[in-house]
Amino acid sequence: MDREELSITALMSRLDLDEEEMERFGGAVSRLLETFCAMMQVEVENLPPTTHALLKDNRLREDRPVEDGAADRLLANAPELEERFIVIPNVL
Amino acid sequence: MVSLAEHWQGLCDRPESLAEWRRYALEADKKTGCFLQFDPLLARDRSAASGSLAGVPFAVKDNIAVEPFRLTCASRFLANLVSPYTATAVRRLQAQGAVVVGKTNLDEFGMGSSTENSAYQKTLNPWNLTRVPGGSSGGSAAAVAAGIVPFALGSDTGGSVRQPAAFCGVYGLKPTYGAVSRYGLVAYASSLEVIGVISKTVAAAGEVFRLMRGQDELDHSSLEYRPAQDPPKKLCVGLPVECLRAVGEPGTQGIPLHPDVQATLEKTAQTLKELGFTLREVSLPSLEYVVSAYFVIACAEASANLARFDGIRYGARAQGADNQEQLVISSRSRGFGDEVKLRILLGTYVLRSGFQDQYYLRAQRIRTAIRRDFERAFSEVQLILMPVYPTPAFKLGGVELDPFAQKLADQFTCSANLAGLPALSFPAAVKNGLPIGLQFLAPPFAEDRLLRACSAFEEVSPSPNPPLYGPWS
Repeated sequence: MDREELSITALMSRLDLDEEEMERFGGAVSRLLETFCAMMQVEVENLPPTTHALLKDNRLREDRPVEDGAADRLLANAPELEERFIVIPNVL
Repeated sequence: MVSLAEHWQGLCDRPESLAEWRRYALEADKKTGCFLQFDPLLARDRSAASGSLAGVPFAVKDNIAVEPFRLTCASRFLANLVSPYTATAVRRLQAQGAVVVGKTNLDEFGMGSSTENSAYQKTLNPWNLTRVPGGSSGGSAAAVAAGIVPFALGSDTGGSVRQPAAFCGVYGLKPTYGAVSRYGLVAYASSLEVIGVISKTVAAAGEVFRLMRGQDELDHSSLEYRPAQDPPKKLCVGLPVECLRAVGEPGTQGIPLHPDVQATLEKTAQTLKELGFTLREVSLPSLEYVVSAYFVIACAEASANLARFDGIRYGARAQGADNQEQLVISSRSRGFGDEVKLRILLGTYVLRSGFQDQYYLRAQRIRTAIRRDFERAFSEVQLILMPVYPTPAFKLGGVELDPFAQKLADQFTCSANLAGLPALSFPAAVKNGLPIGLQFLAPPFAEDRLLRACSAFEEVSPSPNPPLYGPWS
């Protein structure tokens, strides 16, 4: 993978890579992509894709409110709160 | 047969024994570094007072939610995250009286084969403290092997329960995909992973699995458990010719079989014959491509699943960001370790427009070929016997197997995940002071068959005790 492709991929991954990381990850990603080339030998034309081995279809459940205090426990993990609002940097 | 509860006699309910056991556990943990959090009383009141596992202590890999323990996934990013709820699999065990005594170390988010990718500490193999315990559920395997707990939970995405169990000389059950609810398991590769059991005995693995399994309305991929039909009394075991051939020949992927693993495979096949099993060769031609297909799918799913870690709602937030975008980028860049970053980059790349057909779609089609190979094999045999890993537990620091080679060495484990099959790794021998594990694979929902075969082998060759093994057996 060349440098430009890695920069685009890092941006899409929301990762900021410094010079040393660009070098290191570039080499590691390229080495694995080369390994994946082995898959190109397989004739896949007549094979449908498998997304899940055993899952046949989606199952839905009734949407019902539950009072178990989870909201408070979730908010307690927020990095910064103002009352029950999570603080983020200014959007505008 | 003595049940787990009888064996441990409600340890957590007897203060004197508990104090003595606690001293032992802390000492063993100091030597091996298996726990990230150890507090036998923290979640004591979440467990029922009675039940088939009353007072039995167990450990849980730290990517599975247990209230009120922290849920770090061995990542700096989640250093202070407190579990807001408890995983269904854990709740079902707590409902039978089992007590969570601590959270075990792992490769960050389950990504690795040595537990060296933990942001916090190394875990050492109780058999030899210069070697890895395997991964990613290395802490769970080391805790069981050291005799601290009779069983521990792990998660298996590409071998993460079976490989550490093999490295530490204990049993590792990877159930059928969907047999155990994943609610409360931090998602890495959702279509591959399942919560599994690491235990000192086959009976314990079976007992714990039977209590955890079954549909859960909180995990839509969980399935109603319908055991596969009983096979004939005399089980026929398939040996894939691809495992017997020297892996590593020019043009083939994978790591060559270590002589100790090769010898153990041959000896075990002989022992199985003496125990009344029949053996025959089967062919799984797609084994050649499983590692590539596995990593493409696992990394693709990881890149999507780990997108949720943004430092906004929870997790370590980078300070000083001017805007939201910068906050997310800085938090992720500082919070994730190298292996996690590598897999996110790889996964993002194979999902990019223009590359998706070449990598991701092709891997999914190969996944179909793997499934069909197994279906064909299981029309001829009831079980398949394979190595778990091509080598015994390797040395710390990547001196014997570097991280790239460790990935290629998933060649025997990840096919069960791609096909959703159950598999059980068992200690088959001790060679040069290190345990060697092999595994049985079975058709979906045939866990009883795996347990039956391993029980028969356990009769003649039980889990060996490492030098560190304590009195709590």
